[in-house]
Amino acid sequence: MYLTKTHLPRRTFLRGAGVTLALPFLDSMVPALSALGTSPANPKTRLVTIFAPHGWAPTYWADGDPSVAPTAGRNTGLGFIHQPLAPWQDKMTIVSGLDATSSMPPPGSSGGDHSRASAVFTGTSPKKTSGADIHGGVSIDQIVAQKYGQDTLLPSIQLAIEDPGANTGICGWGYSCAYSNSVSWAAPNRPLPHEINPQLVFERLYGDGSTPEERQARRVASDSILDAVTNKITRLRSRLPGSDRTRLNDYLDSVREMERRLQVAAKVSGESPNIEVPFGVPESFDEHIKLHFDLQALAFQGDITRVSSLMVARDVSLRSYPESGVQTANHPSSHHGEDPKRREDWATINQYHMKCFAHFVKKLAETADGDGTLLDHTLVLWGSNMGNANQHSHVGAGYLLVGGASGRHQPKKLTVRDAGPTSNVLLTAMQLMGVEKDSIGDSTNAVAV
Amino acid sequence: MKRLSIIAVIALATATLHGGQAQQQPRAPERAQRPAVASQGTPTESAARPARPTLVASSERQAPAMSAAMQRQVMDQYCVTCHNSRLKTAGLTFDAVDLTNVAPNAEVLEKAVRRVRAGLMPPSGARRPDAATLASLAEGLEASLDRAAAAPNLVAPGLHRLNRTEYANAIRELLGLEIDAAAYLPVDDSTSGFDNVAAGLTVSPALVEGYMSAAGKISRLALGRATAPEEKRYLAPQDYSQEGHVEGLPFGTRGGLLIRNYFPADGEYLFAWFPVRGNTGELYGAESKDEQLIVLIDGEQVGAFDISKLPQGTDNDKNELRLKVKAGYRTVGFTFLSNTQIPGDDLNHHYLRSVLDTNPISGFIFYPQVGQVKILGPYNGAVATDTASRKKILACTPGPQHEETACARTILNRLARQAFRRPIAAEDTRTLMEFYQAGRGKAGTFEDGIERGIQGILSDPEFVFRSEAPPSRLRAGQAYRINDLELASRLAFFLWSTTPDDQLINLASRGQLSDPKVLDAQVRRMVADPRSRELVKNFAGQWLQLRNLPSAAPTTQMFPDFDDNLRQAFRVEAEMFFDSILREDRSVVDLLNANYTFVNERLARHYGIPNIYGSRFRRVTLDGALEDRRGLLGKGAVLLTTSNPDRTSPVLRGKWVLMNVLGVVPPDPPVVPPLRESGKMANGQPVPLEISMRERMQEHRSSPTCASCHTMMDPIGFALESFDAIGKARTQEFGKALDLSAQLTDGVKFAGPTGLRQALTRYSPQFVNNLTEKLFVYALGRSVDYRDMPQIRAIVRDSARTNYRMSSLILGIVTSPAFTMNRYDAEGEGATEARDRKETATPKKDRI
Repeated sequence: MYLTKTHLPRRTFLRGAGVTLALPFLDSMVPALSALGTSPANPKTRLVTIFAPHGWAPTYWADGDPSVAPTAGRNTGLGFIHQPLAPWQDKMTIVSGLDATSSMPPPGSSGGDHSRASAVFTGTSPKKTSGADIHGGVSIDQIVAQKYGQDTLLPSIQLAIEDPGANTGICGWGYSCAYSNSVSWAAPNRPLPHEINPQLVFERLYGDGSTPEERQARRVASDSILDAVTNKITRLRSRLPGSDRTRLNDYLDSVREMERRLQVAAKVSGESPNIEVPFGVPESFDEHIKLHFDLQALAFQGDITRVSSLMVARDVSLRSYPESGVQTANHPSSHHGEDPKRREDWATINQYHMKCFAHFVKKLAETADGDGTLLDHTLVLWGSNMGNANQHSHVGAGYLLVGGASGRHQPKKLTVRDAGPTSNVLLTAMQLMGVEKDSIGDSTNAVAV
Repeated sequence: MKRLSIIAVIALATATLHGGQAQQQPRAPERAQRPAVASQGTPTESAARPARPTLVASSERQAPAMSAAMQRQVMDQYCVTCHNSRLKTAGLTFDAVDLTNVAPNAEVLEKAVRRVRAGLMPPSGARRPDAATLASLAEGLEASLDRAAAAPNLVAPGLHRLNRTEYANAIRELLGLEIDAAAYLPVDDSTSGFDNVAAGLTVSPALVEGYMSAAGKISRLALGRATAPEEKRYLAPQDYSQEGHVEGLPFGTRGGLLIRNYFPADGEYLFAWFPVRGNTGELYGAESKDEQLIVLIDGEQVGAFDISKLPQGTDNDKNELRLKVKAGYRTVGFTFLSNTQIPGDDLNHHYLRSVLDTNPISGFIFYPQVGQVKILGPYNGAVATDTASRKKILACTPGPQHEETACARTILNRLARQAFRRPIAAEDTRTLMEFYQAGRGKAGTFEDGIERGIQGILSDPEFVFRSEAPPSRLRAGQAYRINDLELASRLAFFLWSTTPDDQLINLASRGQLSDPKVLDAQVRRMVADPRSRELVKNFAGQWLQLRNLPSAAPTTQMFPDFDDNLRQAFRVEAEMFFDSILREDRSVVDLLNANYTFVNERLARHYGIPNIYGSRFRRVTLDGALEDRRGLLGKGAVLLTTSNPDRTSPVLRGKWVLMNVLGVVPPDPPVVPPLRESGKMANGQPVPLEISMRERMQEHRSSPTCASCHTMMDPIGFALESFDAIGKARTQEFGKALDLSAQLTDGVKFAGPTGLRQALTRYSPQFVNNLTEKLFVYALGRSVDYRDMPQIRAIVRDSARTNYRMSSLILGIVTSPAFTMNRYDAEGEGATEARDRKETATPKKDRI
């Protein structure tokens, strides 16, 4: 079944007096009498992976807070940290008591607890090296993107809040900075850079130019330039030594990937939204992360990508969140020294992050998508590789699964406890995304959710 | 009168600075024996070296090399007790190592030498021979290792992608345009401590996209054809204080922001500014009467705002100006007239961080502040007619239409030559002109064609990557000299972080650059050129971790005086200090010892240096009570970045010294147990444990696992406890006098920063070795390992003759085999071929 000329194209926008609204999914876009299952408008499942370092404050969430004691079959409420997600608690699973084994120091060594963030969605212990021979496994967002990404303009997008350029000294302990700079790994040696600037994210989604027409014209120019680039690479390759050729081939792959995107872009040409392009990196965390969340929702809405990955902070972040009411910075707060007041401060910061996250969940829940909402067709996995960060403990970590995953995620319980290694949640998420694999990293079995 | 004398002081300081620059023109050091070209394993850098020069304060280097038999005896006595085949302490065994044939064990022996040189072995508590014996042992081992390394380690750094900094600098060199690369390209990973290491500069589709999109935008910007309006925001950092004069703004003004903005096209621009307001919209500093903000473009006042007219209790600010501006760089200032400023010598003086309190407090004086500036435009933008970039790019202007092609060829050939860092061939011109024609087309203009041509050049892999092609017909593993053009690129990216200029390309294309005299003269020219500031910014910035300064955020409750002004001053001080060593060609040992630094009023106040007024930095001598500030160890930047937000960290400071002075990376600690807290509560608040940091750290050493390393690091940090977490001098902690006594692993006792500095001076050869190693990594853009150590030692030995002048280290590196030669690496050949075959089989994609 194909869309005919009588249907609106996949992305259509109403242009009004100076304002253009995106109407990405009108009922009229689904050809009459077609079953949703076979229509090009068939909602696809989206995956979001979100990393926040240092875990959650002990006892302020389902890891042992008495206020969330389970009753028969289902917990009655949410802990302090997860309160902002209360409206959607039927659509979420909190997995507690996880062991972030892949983030633990390799046998016979210790330390480097802040240098192995990459393990959070790969379940693979990063190889200890500060050289070029990095090895960090493949993250689930990329496994999913490699399966479904070919159908969309961008196979996946990577976003972050903090610029590693400003904080290069933290990735010590003999670990490459690559492990703390990225939680999205396309191959064991290919971490994908996370973009900080919302403006650049917008351009990645819609191209460079102030009007859709201009963006289209520039795409055509880029296409011809890429041809020349391809020719040049071939020429260079013939005179460079073997090891350089490998890198040139990587570059060529990237060029091909870009050509492919231009082709897909050309197919959906002319319909990019005329919304106001956000300028630059916002000063406040609040504004910044909400913009990033909005852009992800926008990308899903327009089916530009189905996979995104976000880093809320980097390990050892010294960012503070005045909006939370706590002035102490992220990392020092996580070292609460088991002092009740300071632990509460840390929990307050955690809760503040959940408030920001709730903005995203709300947006997904309010955006119509096919026969339901974006939230129905999305799976968000929020994870961290620490339990009690005060001791850098990788035991007792928690992950969140939010969203319907197109009907595959129908939580029976709000909280699942003691689910084994964190890789088990990764396996679960992959299976909910329809990837048929029975293990990832050091997983033992999927978590029953 | 007072102002006059200040100016006199400034003038004097300037004179001293310039005088210093002029008088230092050292003789070129003797040329190292140059390696033979294109022959396998010939260079023998280490074999014949002149006798050791005498060094300042360096007993170690004067020691005679110990014989292998004697080495065995010393090692059996002092090392093998722990490092034997049974115990394998730290995985090292020395009982079975043949010291008469060190090649097979070079890696472990390099480790041993490094630790002995650093004074860290034998460990404290263990028996140790006298210093002369240890020095002689190290000397002997080094001599054997250097002899054993028959051929220098020549690992080609490989295909080198321009990192953000290099990309931005190359764009400036090429097009006269300053860009913020962070706005175009994703961040680069750093490897071996630097973000210019080729192996760490990976590629991804996002990167390709970044380069492609940058090429499009920059080509428009450079020609002044970016006429679409855009918004630029400039934010004052949250802890930026605005009570003093800002350098670059007129005298008689207070605070505000000074912005260097690029106006992409001729047209009207909207300037909007926003004052700092409290949580409920109250205007910060509103009680200060008759406040006026003035707006300046390129130093000329273009507008003024009466602060009393600003609304209260809302953040709905509409403080806007709409002005016609010509394209190009302009400085835009938003600042307050300081006619209301009262000398702050009354008792009620608030903290130096001027916006710490968000509410007015009676009895204290607060002044309004600029929080944010937006520049929007151009409105009705027209293509710029006269900018520096256009002048640089448009080398000719075609008259009649038939001249266009010839002119386009001239322009694009010239740009491509610098972008590709080599002379241009006919084939290149053909491609460039295809771009030009595609842009020019029938409907387009001459400049449309040039724009497309520039876009093509900036997208070209030859611009984005530095590559070095081996000569044909080499055997695998064969050593060869890189060609002059490749050498020009290596030099330019090392010393300037950018592409070589015309002079370098000219010399290189005539094959003259590798001539030792020419090379020497070029290196000296390049160091003297302002572009070598990039070496300071990028090398020193990463080596000394100055790039971490922006994220250093001391707890405001404990350090209410700390502000961004101080943070920036720390950075400027450290950069100027390193710059003075480079530009005045001083001994790099001065980095540890120099008796001068650079301060402005803010920093002088922090350091307790009297009679320094104003925002400008000037050189001051560090003597008397300021002696503790001498060298890197007394610099605020180092002391701040090695502290926690709320306290000092003797461990981090000790680690810093170990890594940056002694060249040893301490091993990983086990899981960190929390430091003891008091556990007591009062009024719902924890009672801080009021014992000194030193006492708290004793816990580290009570556990044997911790102690083995912390006995190396902590005492170094203890000696620096007289500087608090923001590098301010102190004599007490919690009302008790500080105990600054400390001891190095070698048993030498000392106290305080000056004592530490003097104790470390004995290790200055090790410091030079370590600095050279870092510089070597940075210069080559590759990681180093034990196989590189003979080359590095050779550079240091040569440099000793000039007492380690900076120029001798730089020249030593650029004339070293590693910098001038590669070894042919045929690895990966098979894989590539297999892939090529696969690609031929893939049908070409359909064009749309």
